[in-house]
Amino acid sequence: MNERGLRVTIGRRRLLGLGLGALGAAALAGCAPPGANPVNSQPVIPAAAPGEKITLTYWAWLKDLQKVADIWNAKNPNVQVEAVFSLGGASGGYQKMYSALAAGGGPDLAQVELRSVPEFMLVGGLVDLSRYGAQQHASLYDEAAWGQVNFNGGVYAIPQDTGPMGWYYQPAVLEKVGGQPPATWDEWAQLAEALHKKDPSVYLESFSVADASPFISYAAQAGAKWFTPTDDGWLVNLIDDASLAVARFFDKAVDNQWVQTAYDAYSPGWTAAAGNGQIAALTGASWGDALVETIGTGAGKWKVAPMPKWPTGFGSTALGGSSAAVLANSKHPKEAMDFAVWMTTSKEGVDAMIKYCGIGWSPARDYIGAQRQQPSQFFSGQNYNTEVFVPAAKQQPTDWHWWPITQRTIYALSDQFRLKLTSGQSFVDSLHVTQKTTVDTLRQIGLTVQEAK
Amino acid sequence: MTTSETAVSTPVVAAPPTAPARRHRRMHVAAPWILLAPFLALFLLTVLGPVILAVVQSFTRINRAGLFGEKGVTSGFAGFDNYVQALSNGNFIQAIGRVLLFGIVQVPVMTVFATVLALLLESASARWPAFFRAAYFLPYGIPGVIATILWSFLYVPGLSPIIDVGKLVGLDIDFLGPNTVLWSIANIVTWTYTGYNMLVIIAQLKAIPSEIYEAARVDGASPLRIAASIQLPLIRPALVLSVVFSIIGTLQLFVEPMVLRTVAPAIVTEYTPNLSAYTNAFAYNDYGIASAEAVIIAVAAFVLSFGFLAWTNRKGRS
Repeated sequence: MNERGLRVTIGRRRLLGLGLGALGAAALAGCAPPGANPVNSQPVIPAAAPGEKITLTYWAWLKDLQKVADIWNAKNPNVQVEAVFSLGGASGGYQKMYSALAAGGGPDLAQVELRSVPEFMLVGGLVDLSRYGAQQHASLYDEAAWGQVNFNGGVYAIPQDTGPMGWYYQPAVLEKVGGQPPATWDEWAQLAEALHKKDPSVYLESFSVADASPFISYAAQAGAKWFTPTDDGWLVNLIDDASLAVARFFDKAVDNQWVQTAYDAYSPGWTAAAGNGQIAALTGASWGDALVETIGTGAGKWKVAPMPKWPTGFGSTALGGSSAAVLANSKHPKEAMDFAVWMTTSKEGVDAMIKYCGIGWSPARDYIGAQRQQPSQFFSGQNYNTEVFVPAAKQQPTDWHWWPITQRTIYALSDQFRLKLTSGQSFVDSLHVTQKTTVDTLRQIGLTVQEAK
Repeated sequence: MTTSETAVSTPVVAAPPTAPARRHRRMHVAAPWILLAPFLALFLLTVLGPVILAVVQSFTRINRAGLFGEKGVTSGFAGFDNYVQALSNGNFIQAIGRVLLFGIVQVPVMTVFATVLALLLESASARWPAFFRAAYFLPYGIPGVIATILWSFLYVPGLSPIIDVGKLVGLDIDFLGPNTVLWSIANIVTWTYTGYNMLVIIAQLKAIPSEIYEAARVDGASPLRIAASIQLPLIRPALVLSVVFSIIGTLQLFVEPMVLRTVAPAIVTEYTPNLSAYTNAFAYNDYGIASAEAVIIAVAAFVLSFGFLAWTNRKGRS
């Protein structure tokens, strides 16, 4: 840049700079950009020859997954599946998978959260399974779950578990104000206000300002569509009417102290408060049942109702959920897909996944798992899975799409949400700010974006 | 090394080297490299290599086309774009401001604590100095992750006995609030590193010759006077060292906020500069920005440490 000026004063540093520059140029020349994996334009890999013995590896953070694979292995001597434990998602697992992909290796199958599927597509990490006949399995899955792995006419993962939402509550705490499970969010607000007014140490629920994920689920329930893939790039709209209405609703709830914001659901503080009746309820995903059951004194005190509804949108929504994705360097994508479909839709597969791995809601359209058809002691003898979550799974938003920088948007929005407590910034403003940073980031990484007007 | 080289080179001047002498010399040239090889290999692979790679990456950007880059992906030279982007990222700037504030308060407090503890333990009237030295040093042996988890039990409302006692006497303590959580982290860091810095200072105190103390006592100096006029000036190098380490440690603050984040909603994803680089690299897969931030952090640590050293040197001379 201003080399002439530097040469006189600091010759040595310039020399060092030139050396580094040369090294850099050399490294750049020898380096293929990540995300350039052409796996989906190369010829389809044929299935293994009859009699050929192959071994598939599956990286996942589900515990005891090998016990599920063993059931398959006993019946398929030529296609053996080996489960390898990998840390959960963004806390280490993805980093390992990204590195393996960049190095040209990695497992045949990997557990990838539904919301992270587009992030793996961004680095060219996933095999388009429609080229291996995945579409023929579409009818086996819940429509909402299947919709989340479909992009550009391809199928990029097999849904493994989802999180339809319901409303967990303690009838005895609601009884203090004669409350019933709210059918609408407006009733929910009235109940929250009444409870807190009656006893200021009691809150209806925690609302997370540190993790925007539940908020996004609520907005999706109200009918928000933040990202729409079009032929002219992503249509980005975090500030549609549904999202703004939900933001205004929770602005009011926090401003009036109807919700607890000091700790998030499932955190140690929350568990303590829920145990002594200072938290009355939880709008939670189906997999929240196991976490509610960790409240030591909670047995028999909890029940589950359908989640409250907005004037617009859907009966329920989803929080969390993951898929089994075939990674780009797999040598046997067809067999990997077949195993994933067996694991997620066959009765023995689903039952084993629940028994050994404790998965969230099974995305299989016609089977929720044998254990989930039984009444629960902890939840006051209620058969809550068939009563609440079966209908909830059918009422999830069907055209919600995650996007290539989901994690980044969620972090950005969460950072804005925290300002609610520090500087009083409204959730509505947070959505506007995040809309802008999300569009800017997408453009910085070179994707085509249209902003909604 | 130098002595052996001169020993060999003397006969070389006198006569042309014979074959055995040449082999001998070659061995002498090779020997240090062979001995250094294990260190050099690790140093190149785990320090120098990653540093060069980070610098290279900080000047690289990836361009894509389509929804996911399915219409083409290229990477190229970005100039200073990543640096501009990092420095115009409000979160990163706030993070830098946050650790600077943290350092300005926490480093002096910890240094004062460490110095006072060291002087007390080294004073003539100290009881069981070895026991207390070990006791104060003990927290340093506990990994930061574990220490933070332990402290979080004292910070979380509903679990913390401190908050419960505060409520009894009418105090509403919030350790994890947006304005207090930084100081809750400072508390953990101080608890961990005071003992370590104390030990560095004690080592220096032990190096003070006993004649100086005797002379002072003969002159009738009180223990306070000895501390102020003899011990403090003579442990200056140790104090400078411990402050420089603390400055570097402060800029690299990572583990404590990372762990405390799970119970403190006030800790944002880019709370410290290192957390910002970590988030960009491993949550956003944006290694260009992350590398630029890492380089900025390294340069800042370098400037601050050497700035402090230069400042103390000048003060020492004047």
